[in-house]
Amino acid sequence: MTGARLFPGRSGPWLIAALFFGLTLIGLIVPMIVGVLWSLVDPRAGWFPPNLVPPSLSLDNWRAMFSVPEMGEAAVASFTIAPIVTALCATLALPTGYALGRRPVPFRRAIEFLVLAPIIMPGIVIATGLGSMFIRFGLAHTLVGVILVQTVVVLPFMIRIVTATFEAVPQDLIDAARNLGAGPLSLAWRVLIPLVVPGLFAGGVFTFIGSMEEFVLTFIVGSPHVRTLPVLLFAYLGGRSQIFTYAAVVMIVLLVPTIVLLFTAERALKQEYLAAGLGKM
Amino acid sequence: MLPGPVPAVDRLRLAGLRRRDQWVNLLLLLPGVGFLGLFLVVPLAQVFLRSVGLALIGQASHLTWDYYRQFWVEAQYRDGFFFSLWLGVASTVISLVTALMFSALMQVRFPGRLFVSVLYKVPLVVPSLVAAFLILSLVAPGGILARLVAHWGWEWPHLVYDRWGWGIIFVLVWHNVPFMMVIISAVMAGIPQDINDAARNLGASPWQVFRFVTVPLSMPGVSAAALLVFIQVFGAFAVPSLMESAYPLALPVIMQTEMMDRANWALASALGSVLTLASAIVLFAYYRLVQGRGSPAR
Repeated sequence: MTGARLFPGRSGPWLIAALFFGLTLIGLIVPMIVGVLWSLVDPRAGWFPPNLVPPSLSLDNWRAMFSVPEMGEAAVASFTIAPIVTALCATLALPTGYALGRRPVPFRRAIEFLVLAPIIMPGIVIATGLGSMFIRFGLAHTLVGVILVQTVVVLPFMIRIVTATFEAVPQDLIDAARNLGAGPLSLAWRVLIPLVVPGLFAGGVFTFIGSMEEFVLTFIVGSPHVRTLPVLLFAYLGGRSQIFTYAAVVMIVLLVPTIVLLFTAERALKQEYLAAGLGKM
Repeated sequence: MLPGPVPAVDRLRLAGLRRRDQWVNLLLLLPGVGFLGLFLVVPLAQVFLRSVGLALIGQASHLTWDYYRQFWVEAQYRDGFFFSLWLGVASTVISLVTALMFSALMQVRFPGRLFVSVLYKVPLVVPSLVAAFLILSLVAPGGILARLVAHWGWEWPHLVYDRWGWGIIFVLVWHNVPFMMVIISAVMAGIPQDINDAARNLGASPWQVFRFVTVPLSMPGVSAAALLVFIQVFGAFAVPSLMESAYPLALPVIMQTEMMDRANWALASALGSVLTLASAIVLFAYYRLVQGRGSPAR
């Protein structure tokens, strides 16, 4: 293998392992532990330098999740908005993905560019346009407005993944179904949709995580009335007074579902979905 | 196979079918493309119109270049532009070099490779705000590393809230290296082993194989990843907003202040147009470069 050829001797692989494990430890595991510790700091004792671990631990900050209204509201908002955005994206992307994946559509290049645009454009520029537009429509600072702006930035991932899935459906299956007398509706319902369910699922994971984590547009269009978890995290980390303890709680509430989702879905997320979602410019 | 002359009746039917086809296309494309048209193209068009003083809310509108002039004349906006540009270039270069080396090392079989290959993808789903929190609790003054070295009586350097934004760059590199590694590793895994073997047989050192074989052959994936990272960092708001010093402010941070604190949508739109234009120039240069290079390796 490459390893044996590139790094003669036995120590090479072990050195690489040590490098990667060291980096993961310092860059990922230690910060995560520190984050969890921050969420468990006893507010009466605090955690000040030079202490390496908090002097005493408590669950007070976790109780704040229920006693501080803004935290509970942000969690509810995040977990309400994400499923709605995902469902909306699936509904919008299914027909469009079919057309792009299986039909000779006119202006294909232009449409593909339009679908790519929200992925490469800076979110703040889209927020500038949508922010003022939604103020005029009365959608600013509303739940509907936030759902719409989040859909703009996550829909492209769904469309790209669904398109790639439709492209991969073998024409033979469709021809066979037609020969056996399937009409357009039963063809769609019995053959096409079951075949694209894996793609829809992968796209759903992308959009759900994307919606949970979207910040700039939600912040500019939604605040101060609609606050999701990332918006609250920003408030706790920035501004004049940093509240690290609450920030740590919000961070864990935000992070655990997305990481669990990623690892449970990893088997279903084939490399080609990842490629359709991210690369291939 | 050339089709024969089509009878008149059939031709009419074919035209009818084609027209029906176009309607079906339109109907199928409408949900996705229509949504993006309404909520992306229209607002972006408004951004441009507003940047030249048209279509403003609650103000008389007349065509003017004043907002662009303001951007170029006032130092805070110009410096913001160059600060964002610096963040983009520095983060991209550092991420790229790191990701190239790590991806090459990941091709090697080492103990615990599977474990690392799962763990390194975690930052992909970590929002940049969480990344900022994790890094702040690690390297900020009073962070865990500062406390650790203080035990030995050392001074921890100022890595966040500094003039050059090293803290910001650090967070963005942490966030983007795994993203680049996913793309670059996929390309590197596709390079045939024979090519590496041939280079080694001809006397190349491992470094030379990396520098003159692996990296050039990974270029397609590398350039796309680098471009995407650059444009994202150039337009990044959250991390610079949390970790920058008082001056200069990154351009997206200035835009947010103009929008939300001063309701100066016209100036924010002009700054946004500048940001978009600069990104578009980089994108265009990338496509020219990719086309100009052709396919020397194949």
